[in-house]
Amino acid sequence: MKVKVVTRILEANERIAAENRRLFDEAKVYVINLMSAPGAGKTSLLEKTIKELNGKIKPAVIEGDIAGTADAERISSLGVPVIQINTGGACHLDANMINEVLESLPLKETDLLFVENVGNLVCPAEFNIGEDMKAMVLSITEGDDKPLKYPLMFQESSALILNKIDLLPYTNASMEKIRKDARSLNPSLKIFEVSCKTGKGIAEWADWLTEKIRS
Amino acid sequence: MHEASIALSVLEIAVDNCRKAGYNRIESIRLKIGRASGIMLDALLFAFNAVKADTIAAEASVIIDEIPVSGLCSSCGKDFVTEEKYILCCPECSSASFNIKTGRELEIIDMEVF
Repeated sequence: MKVKVVTRILEANERIAAENRRLFDEAKVYVINLMSAPGAGKTSLLEKTIKELNGKIKPAVIEGDIAGTADAERISSLGVPVIQINTGGACHLDANMINEVLESLPLKETDLLFVENVGNLVCPAEFNIGEDMKAMVLSITEGDDKPLKYPLMFQESSALILNKIDLLPYTNASMEKIRKDARSLNPSLKIFEVSCKTGKGIAEWADWLTEKIRS
Repeated sequence: MHEASIALSVLEIAVDNCRKAGYNRIESIRLKIGRASGIMLDALLFAFNAVKADTIAAEASVIIDEIPVSGLCSSCGKDFVTEEKYILCCPECSSASFNIKTGRELEIIDMEVF
């Protein structure tokens, strides 16, 4: 006996992601799923971005890490609501982990929710969490070969933030190659060059975000 | 990717649908998997064999329809299909402005139950 099924295998995650999305829309929160390899500078970018937004946009943060609360403490010291998720080994956040912490966030008083995913260039790109936009950070010290080695994340992201550009003179990375390869994977990718250390490029990124949220 | 958790999801959906249809054993499950879905087929089959033990799918085989990457180029208008897993430009005119149509599938199509 043949039984028709026709079901997406990741349907359970998609269903919870849709429920998250409904809650975000209801509270009028714009959600960014921020992804990168470990150490690319996601938390530093959040710190700089939050300072740059300077209260004009009310942010909140979900920090995803395998263990520890170091990142949440850094964000909390800026006076921004933050929840730490410890995945206890899992290499990415999924829709259900997000769903479970939403009650603990003041969504109604939030304009922009950053979800800082677990540091990993592979798996986070494969699980929707109900976000409005995926964005990724690539630090130039990781090398200019990353777009072609980890294509999915570049394809899934709307924005690519190239961090640590103050270190360009000390690396062999070609910005031109990163741009070219990333664009060929994703022609509509918006690319920002920033240095969280010097603050270069942060204003441009924050302005673009502000425009996205208000439109 | 996460072949073990994908295998568990397949098992869960299949067992659920089998019971709903009023049957007690699964003979085979047919999946549609895109070549750019990030799934390693060998790893998925290996994981499925491990998780199916002691379930109503213990004897079930998995049949996989592999879907190639295809797309439409907005520069040259070519409707293309490729053997590659990822493509960086239109195989016809090398332009970067193309839309992927297939290759990311990850679905259960049907199954044989008895």
